[in-house]
Amino acid sequence: MIEVENLTLRFGGLVAVNDLSLVVRPRTIHALIGPNGAGKSTTFNCISRLYRPTSGRIRVLGRDVSGLRPQDLAPLGVARTFQNLELFGGLSVLENVLIGAHVHCGGGLRERLAARPPAVIGHVEHLLERVGLAEFRHAQASALDFGRQKMLELARALAIRPRILLLDEPAAGLRNREIGALDRLLNELVERDGLTVLLVEHVMQLVMAISHRVTVMNFGARIAEGTPAEVRRDPLVVEAYLGQEAAHA
Amino acid sequence: MPPQQAVAALPARASSNLRLGLLVPAVAAVVALALLPVFTSGYVVYVANVLLVYVVLSLGLNLVIGEAGQFSLSHAAFYGIGIYAAALGNKLLGLPLVGCLLLAGVVAALLGGVIGTIALRMRDIYLALTTFAFGEAMQWLFLNWEPVTGGPNGLRIPPSSLFGVEILNDKQAYPVVLGVALLMLGATVVISRSRLGRAFRAVRESDVAAMAMGIPVRRVKIMAFLLSAFYAGVAGGLFATFSTYIHPESLGFQTTMTVLTMVVVGGLGSTGGALLGAVVFGLISELLRQAPAVQEMTYGLILILFMMFVPRGLAPAVSRWVRGRGHV
Repeated sequence: MIEVENLTLRFGGLVAVNDLSLVVRPRTIHALIGPNGAGKSTTFNCISRLYRPTSGRIRVLGRDVSGLRPQDLAPLGVARTFQNLELFGGLSVLENVLIGAHVHCGGGLRERLAARPPAVIGHVEHLLERVGLAEFRHAQASALDFGRQKMLELARALAIRPRILLLDEPAAGLRNREIGALDRLLNELVERDGLTVLLVEHVMQLVMAISHRVTVMNFGARIAEGTPAEVRRDPLVVEAYLGQEAAHA
Repeated sequence: MPPQQAVAALPARASSNLRLGLLVPAVAAVVALALLPVFTSGYVVYVANVLLVYVVLSLGLNLVIGEAGQFSLSHAAFYGIGIYAAALGNKLLGLPLVGCLLLAGVVAALLGGVIGTIALRMRDIYLALTTFAFGEAMQWLFLNWEPVTGGPNGLRIPPSSLFGVEILNDKQAYPVVLGVALLMLGATVVISRSRLGRAFRAVRESDVAAMAMGIPVRRVKIMAFLLSAFYAGVAGGLFATFSTYIHPESLGFQTTMTVLTMVVVGGLGSTGGALLGAVVFGLISELLRQAPAVQEMTYGLILILFMMFVPRGLAPAVSRWVRGRGHV
């Protein structure tokens, strides 16, 4: 579904991502982890075309993305969320998700002019139910608490009806109970709806519980890859994390 | 009905009641407006014409600044282009009124599209300055392109004709001005609720997120700019139907600021606000024409007071008040 080959990105003299290769298989949850500054989010932003790689190749759904603009990904069926929430804060919860369905209501003139486009409104309402925001549909997005804002961002991404979901730290800042709900939802999306998920995450609880495969990065390069259990035992991974904790202590 | 559904259904029903509650006064207002020339003087009708032109200008500026969040400061230039296009279409081509109005809108929109394509490479203060510079350049052109605009001598606008009847005074022009203004208002409501309107607001709130939703951000911004210029052009065309003379002096930054004040006073990003702001502030400025000495100062004072006490504008305050009364 996603193939990254020898991806390198330099910002001036700084090498943010160094010769990274990575394959995300269909209907799996693939986690990208690593200490702060390891290049996870940068990799992510290369895939979603916000950054242009210095070299290397990225194929998404079998298609080379190098000629695409960021807005070309949604119509292909690739949705993303953002590390530091990028909601349409001044708009209502419902309108946020409706805008997520933008690419699906461009049919006829009636569809384009409708405040609640018939082709998508059912799906949008269903998504609001699914993430538990139905009763807040008329609330202003920025007035929701942090956990609900995260769920709203997820619902908005799902309104694209994606085949691939890119999640940038979906669990950051969530409480345990909310992480549990997210965990269940992501599993359901993969098992039942057949989505493929690539996520960047710091919260180990979530990564270890739901990932099929984990890629560990440090200093822009891949240092390990495998199942959660394999990765946890990897000495390089232990060192990367413990070394960082020791430095903080 | 399960309790959760009942809770969800409540706001929807309340809002449809509210809509009905607003419909009756709205229809009454339109009827009263239509009858205005029957029982008032020519001066009142003249003021009404001017206010309606301001309404169309405000609706257009609100689309680009309020809805799409793009700072355009060249509204007066597009307004001027509309006036000259309509006047010259009438004078040189002998176009009937409807043709003049369309010409005014289309010429302004085309130029708006071109300027938007160039200026929207920039954002925020840079966009504001670029559009400001364009506005100033256009005013200079109006002043100096004498063969076309008459330059500093101004341009006499011949009476326009509708279905062979010449429009000679304010009362004759009024039904046209009112009709077109209402049409533009209706179009604004439709646009604002549409997919395009949602795309405008998405771009305003976060262009990175808008891109991730598949919205072609640049094209949407240009569209907002172009539409806004179309409104300003039509407003210019309307002005030309009831005016006999245009001078470039009234087509500068001052006019852009006046319309911007109307939109802010009414409530940025709200169609009702643009309408309300144009009427309220337009009336105030008409009253102040009696006292030109304090005019500028009063504008400033009003703007400051609004920024301090009603920063989100009249529209949200009024709708809160209406809703509050509904509960009693």
